[in-house]
Amino acid sequence: MNGYAAFLKKEMYEFAKTYRLIIMLALSAVFGIANPLVAKLTPEILESLMTDGIVITIPEPTVYDSWQQFFKNATQMGLIVMVILFSGVMSTELTKGTLINLLTKGLSRAAVILSKYTCMVLVWTASIVLSFGLTYGYTLYLFPGEEASNLLFSVFCLWLFGLFLQAVILLSAVITKTGYGCLLITGAAAAACMIADIIPAAHRYNPVSLAADNMALITGAAEPSSLCYAILVSCMFSVIFVLLSLSVFRKKQL
Amino acid sequence: MDPTRLKEYLPFLIPLIIAQLALGITALVHVLRHPRYRFGNRVMWALVVMLIQFIGPAVYFVFGRGEE
Repeated sequence: MNGYAAFLKKEMYEFAKTYRLIIMLALSAVFGIANPLVAKLTPEILESLMTDGIVITIPEPTVYDSWQQFFKNATQMGLIVMVILFSGVMSTELTKGTLINLLTKGLSRAAVILSKYTCMVLVWTASIVLSFGLTYGYTLYLFPGEEASNLLFSVFCLWLFGLFLQAVILLSAVITKTGYGCLLITGAAAAACMIADIIPAAHRYNPVSLAADNMALITGAAEPSSLCYAILVSCMFSVIFVLLSLSVFRKKQL
Repeated sequence: MDPTRLKEYLPFLIPLIIAQLALGITALVHVLRHPRYRFGNRVMWALVVMLIQFIGPAVYFVFGRGEE
């Protein structure tokens, strides 16, 4: 436990010192601010592009457009940036051999894996909270008096999908030893989930529906209960992947 | 867009500009103080960091930053 706390502190410090923390938080903040703004300005931008002959009628932007921007950016850019920033989570220390000293001094291997996962979860939570908070505040400012349903639950689903993806990153980082291998496996896992999503029957159980059904939840087209299996499956796989990383890392030659 | 409309969006623009400047300047200082990069040279990274909004500094810190 002691080793875990100390290594977590070191992990956070490293994340800040390699400038990854500022990038993650700054990009979350930028997206958070830009989402409602883009939603509000899209009709005006299109209008300015219109020439004489063409008439495009665009409905007045609503609170839904703002959240659509949020979920589009968070599920695409947000997750991609997160995966790229975390792809080096094991590889830098494995290739430099800096872990060996700590492990021979009695730091348990489980503590290394668990504190790395905790660090990823903390950073992801912070950036989702920041991005969501900014979008929420500015959406209230730009679209006063409009409400979206199931908003918190929808963001919770996205957050949970992030945790699932991070468990995949952790496992692939432990298996491959290099940053690029980690990116490749994580990308392949995400692609496999998306391909499996083509089968309608699998959609209920597929973790990727946590990041795909957000708008349907907000507009009321989907019930929160329709996602309960996907949530269960994601939690289960996250735990399994973390446990697998633990057991792979325990036997790994450094 | 006329200036009065611009005023309406100031609460958005100011934080965005601050975020961009903070990222850009942090990255620029780093580029100028650390002469080694994984690829590219100082002029290239300085331009990338200052001219490409938001993505430039991120790309520099993730891919371009050399080992200490």
